[in-house]
Order: sequence, then structure tokens, then C-alpha cells
Amino acid sequence: MVDPRIGRFAGPVAAFAGMVAVIMGTAAVLFARKIGFDTGHIQAFYLGAEATFAPPRSLAGLLEVAVPHLLAIPMLLFVTLHLVAFVGGVRRRPFAIAAGITFACAAVVIAAGFVIRFAWPGLAPIKIAAFLGLEGTMLVWLGLLVAAITGSEAAPPRAAR
Amino acid sequence: MRFLVQPAPESLERARPPVRVFLAFSVLLILAAVASRAAHGALTPAGLEQILEAVPGERLGPVALWEEVHQGAFLYGFLLLALGSLLAVCPVSRVVRGGLLWLATAAAFLDLGAPFLPVAFPGFPGWAALRIGAFLVATCALLAMAGLAFATFGREGRPSDG
Repeated sequence: MVDPRIGRFAGPVAAFAGMVAVIMGTAAVLFARKIGFDTGHIQAFYLGAEATFAPPRSLAGLLEVAVPHLLAIPMLLFVTLHLVAFVGGVRRRPFAIAAGITFACAAVVIAAGFVIRFAWPGLAPIKIAAFLGLEGTMLVWLGLLVAAITGSEAAPPRAAR
Repeated sequence: MRFLVQPAPESLERARPPVRVFLAFSVLLILAAVASRAAHGALTPAGLEQILEAVPGERLGPVALWEEVHQGAFLYGFLLLALGSLLAVCPVSRVVRGGLLWLATAAAFLDLGAPFLPVAFPGFPGWAALRIGAFLVATCALLAMAGLAFATFGREGRPSDG
């Protein structure tokens, strides 16, 4: 049963969840097409490759991608987690741990490019793992959000307690 | 959202000025998006096809298309959430509220998805016109949502629960 106070916001929250799903889906496609899901492709993307005449990434180029994502990803996570916390019946400690994992994955995804390029190319597998972790946990958050607004969540909404 | 769900007259009064400014910026953002597409030639079918149509061999369509959808979904997502949540406490009928949100959401998804039609079905006719139409419908619906919200939060006094 959806809290009646939340019910009127189900539409906007569902629209937001749908758009977040599109964002995560397109992010996966862009990661696969521009960088690649294997260590060699990631290192070639950041360090350059003679075979394809690809130059190494410049600091300016890395920042051009990182700066908007430093705003967009935390903002997206903040709003999504805020909505889950507000409408869902997730307990505080598991919620905090899972939220921490999601934010940590996001931080590693953004920072890893700089580390691979300028310090330690061996970090490439961690970038893949962090990206998959971010996508996976976001999928869980979206699932919880949709379950809460469609009333299939077993626990009562937080606002009703 | 909490201040909308658990409204207290005092907190609503405090929230009113920033909401008004946010709505003004939302309208600016929507108009700027229209201007940006016009400046890039994306408001004519021919211009849009030149920018986004897949070339033979591009099984998933151009990367630029995926990047545009990635960014567009971010903007639409936040606008639909913010304007939809404000509209939810505006004194308008459920039909108007739900209709506008549904129209904006459906048009937004169509706007984002239409360029994939020729990728999935090569030679699909009219996808560019469809996308332009969907974008304009989404724009008008979002502007109407912002206008209704402004009509509520722009004046003094507590908005009714509609």
C-alpha cells in the first residue's frame, strides 16, 4: 500500500526513475563503445595506442569529461537515494552501507581515468569493477524506488512511521 | 519533496521565493534547449538527419546520438521530477496534472528514442519530424507545468492541496 501522501508524487518519481534508467543504459553503451570493457582497451584509451594512432588523453581532455560528471553523478545519486530513503522501507544501516558503496563506485569511476593515465595503468580492472558496481547498485536503487511507488514494497514507507 | 509532502505554512512561505526563482531558471533552461537545438540545425528534419542519422555499418548508431540521449535524459529526468512534484501540490484537477505529466514524459521518451528508429529499422521514414514534434510537445508541456506551478507559488499564501 502506497502512503497517500506519497501517492500524488508517484508520477514524477516514476518519470524520473525512467529517465535514470535511460541514463544508466546509455552510460553502459557509451562505456562499451568509447572505452571498452577489457583492460587492454581501457589502457589504450587513456595512454594512447600506436596501432590506431590514438594519442594519450590530455589533462584538459580528462577534466572536460570529469568536471560535468562530478556534478551530475553525485546529484543523480543524491536525489535517487533521497527518494528511496523517503518513499521506501529500507532500514537505516543497510541503506547507509549500500549508499556508501554506490558513492564509492562513482568516485572510483571518475578518478580512475586520471590514475590510469598519470600514475598506475594497472588500475584498469578496478575501473571496470567500479563501473559495473555503480550500474548494479543503481539498478537496485531504481528497483526499490519503483517497488515503493507501485506499492509492492512490503515494509511501510518511511514517512508513514 | 518532504516540504511538499508535509507542508507547514511557515516552511511553505519560506520555500516560496527559491521555488519561484527555480521555476524561472527552469523556463530559461527549456528555452535555451530550444535555442540550442535551433542553432545546431536540429529543428529541421534535414538538419537532424545530418547530425544523428546512422551511416551504413554503424549498427548501434553514432556515438553522438548516445551522448545526446545520455545528456537529454538527465535534463528531462530532473525537470520532470521537480516540475511534476511542484505541480502535484498545485490547485489543478488530477486530469490536468496527470495529463500534462504524462504528455511531457511520453513526448520526452519519444524525443530521446526517435533517432533510434532508423538504427533499428533502416530507412524508417519521418523519424526526424517525429523527434522534432515530440521535442516541441515536451517543451510546451514542461512550460505549461512550470507556468501552473508559478501561478501557485508565485503568489502569496499557502497553495491548496488540489
